[in-house]
Amino acid sequence: MKLKQLYVLLMRLAERFQMVQLVIIFLALFTGAAKEATVVFSEAAALCIQNQYLHHGLPSPNLHMSSEDYNLVSSRNFGSEDVSPRKLKHTQGNNLRGIPGNHHGAVVLSGAASQPQNGGPSNMSFYNTPSPMASQLSGVAPPPLCRNMQPNGSNLNTVNTDGSPRSIVNSTIQAPRRKFVDEGKLRKISGRLFSDSGPRRSTRLTGDTGANTNANTAAVAGNGTNNSSKYLGSSKLSSVAPRTVTVRKGQSWVNENIEEGIRNEAFDDSCANVASTTSSSFSSDNVRSLDHDGATVLVGGVVVSGAKAVSGASEVLCLLRTLGEGYRLSCLYRCQDALDAYLRLPHRHYNTSWVLSQVGKAHFELVDYLEADLAFSLARQVSPYSLEGMDIYSTVLYHLKEDMKLSYLTQELISTDRLAPQSWCAMGNCYSLQKDHETALKIFHRAVRLNSRFAYAHTLSGHEYVALEDFENGIKSYQNALRIDSRHYNAWYGLGMIFFRQERFEFSEHHFGMALQINPCSSVIMSYLGTTLHALKKSEDAIKIMDRAILADRKNPLPMYQKANILMSLEKFDDALEVLEELKEYAPRESSVYALMGKIYKRRNMHEKAMLHFGIALDLKPSATDVATIKAAIEKLHVPDELEDNLSTE
Amino acid sequence: MATESSESEEEGKITGGNQHLIVEDDLREMGKKAAWSVSSCKTGNGVSSLRDDNLETYWQSDGAQPHLVNIQFQKKVKLQLVVLYVDFKLDESYTPSKISIRAGDGFHNLKEIKTVELVKPTGWVYLSLSGNDPRETFVNTFMLQIAVLSNHLNGRDTHVRQIKVYGPRPNPIPHQPFQFTSREFITYSTVR
Repeated sequence: MKLKQLYVLLMRLAERFQMVQLVIIFLALFTGAAKEATVVFSEAAALCIQNQYLHHGLPSPNLHMSSEDYNLVSSRNFGSEDVSPRKLKHTQGNNLRGIPGNHHGAVVLSGAASQPQNGGPSNMSFYNTPSPMASQLSGVAPPPLCRNMQPNGSNLNTVNTDGSPRSIVNSTIQAPRRKFVDEGKLRKISGRLFSDSGPRRSTRLTGDTGANTNANTAAVAGNGTNNSSKYLGSSKLSSVAPRTVTVRKGQSWVNENIEEGIRNEAFDDSCANVASTTSSSFSSDNVRSLDHDGATVLVGGVVVSGAKAVSGASEVLCLLRTLGEGYRLSCLYRCQDALDAYLRLPHRHYNTSWVLSQVGKAHFELVDYLEADLAFSLARQVSPYSLEGMDIYSTVLYHLKEDMKLSYLTQELISTDRLAPQSWCAMGNCYSLQKDHETALKIFHRAVRLNSRFAYAHTLSGHEYVALEDFENGIKSYQNALRIDSRHYNAWYGLGMIFFRQERFEFSEHHFGMALQINPCSSVIMSYLGTTLHALKKSEDAIKIMDRAILADRKNPLPMYQKANILMSLEKFDDALEVLEELKEYAPRESSVYALMGKIYKRRNMHEKAMLHFGIALDLKPSATDVATIKAAIEKLHVPDELEDNLSTE
Repeated sequence: MATESSESEEEGKITGGNQHLIVEDDLREMGKKAAWSVSSCKTGNGVSSLRDDNLETYWQSDGAQPHLVNIQFQKKVKLQLVVLYVDFKLDESYTPSKISIRAGDGFHNLKEIKTVELVKPTGWVYLSLSGNDPRETFVNTFMLQIAVLSNHLNGRDTHVRQIKVYGPRPNPIPHQPFQFTSREFITYSTVR
């Protein structure tokens, strides 16, 4: 009951700060008092609606109502009615435009929470689902969240009543505008749940509300029809829910409710169920707290029919399913499949910043930097202020050596948000590209201080330590990154490289192997694993992996070069020369190719050819060390000739 | 170190100096890994002024000529370039005139590798350590000693404002015989 007191207290505060309502809900969930939570949610939902009406010039004694609501709701606990959704429904109608986003969460949660009290199974599922998500709850939603959600506010609010057909229609009507903001949020939320990037508090909050909604809706779906199947489905769904919720966050809170219910059964025929469920969920409770009593469902003044809602729901569902599929595949690093999944999206959904960032990331994992660059730049055009995934974009530009674009990106990111680790990662990449590793290291440390759970910042500082030849600190940084996210294959790769430099080849093989296990499509990791195997004298395996790498990415010249190296040290000169000839086609201006060929010809005592190739290698302006090596090799070429001359003259 | 003493006796005269320090991309400053010491200094103008990246502060010697700056590394390093900032307009009789660079394993076996005469320098002066032989682009050594043998206008003590030592960058990919030059190779050469 102290929760109730807390709630009442917070409600008082809520008059001034609407976001506090979200805090209430979160607190309720967090304390794990699910039952109380449902009560709280419904009250909160009611209050939100009331407040929103208040703001639009409706008189309403909010606080008084809330306590009444609470009583009513608690009395209703194991009934099959949904107080809040109805309340919400009734409060919809006109003027839902100005409603800030955080209310959506509150409202939805309440709607969801109040529904499942039907029978055992749905209750249990409800209790099961919130707890994992409760841990994701965090503090108060800061104002930007409201702002962001503002355009969607009208949609979501109208939609907030669980399973109301109107809401679905509403959201579809508003769809084009909403997608813009939503995808960015989706990305952030999915990032939060599945990666280590520090989410912004605003996104975290919206993500939490979405997650909660999902959990609740999963339980809610058990309302009325198909309780048992829904129970099973919901428990399975709850694990799926967070991801899908995050993906869909922007779309519609209530839609989620409906969708979750739909997911439980087949994706198609649940619409009817949902519709029936929602209708059954309207009970004759607690409407007094709301100013607008009455069963009319208004959406912008238009009454929407159930059929439209159903088709809208299935449309949204398909969309969400595709997005979720794409995201799942990219988490498994099956990047080509992920890209195919994203391509199945309709055009206007594909061209949103979240999806484009995910596409860019998938290309990045495939070591296809040009495509990644394209996708990320489109994402930036679509949503220039979103930060998620921009650290990957800065790495792409680093690889492509586009220092102009990279510094421009950095400037933009820093001016967008000085306190985001992604902006500082981009700046660090910029300095690292200029070979100023000490400054880059300082900047990556700043990124780490801003968010110590941002694994990529740790990995990047590890890279800088290695560039400064400080291997001890490099190992520590990589291990930090792995502690945060053990699936961060860049850190595994980094550790493998350090051990390779230190000639601890067994360790290096293990780490490259782990990296490859996580991301099996990266040809660079494969080629390094091959080099390590060769150093361990397992040359046949090495050659096999090199061939795999060559097949995986035809544009990558590195595996071929390494293969030639291995063949040369195995003294299979002809094969090596063959590979190098092929490589010459791919990268005609690479001096190391010619230098290596010259070396091979020298070993085979074909001096004229060796001279030719060394000459070409020198023309292509290699680094100073290589110039020295090549010239030394040329000098040595002459000595055997002299010897021959001497012998012939004798 | 393979340079012979006969080569090191060639003298070069350097006039003027650059206002800006411009060094090739494939060189990196090696001074941070070294221990720096000087033969003598005036209080307040010690060896730290040589490494503080501040051209206002300078090292002032306080003993008999030749004045020495010793740079000692923990392991043998390849060095290619030494750059000094000296200014005749500011320092006049304190400006170094004859400079000799020696290298070796320690104080006991330093050998002169370069001698140069400066004529009214005003800025960064580049002293390349490479020999004529292409195989001698670098000096592979434990220790470097920069000796100021005489000053302009026969001054006794000397002012040097900054010294930097450069060597080649190591290959970013270990155990690779040659470094990559073309963009296609470099793009794919690491995972970041």
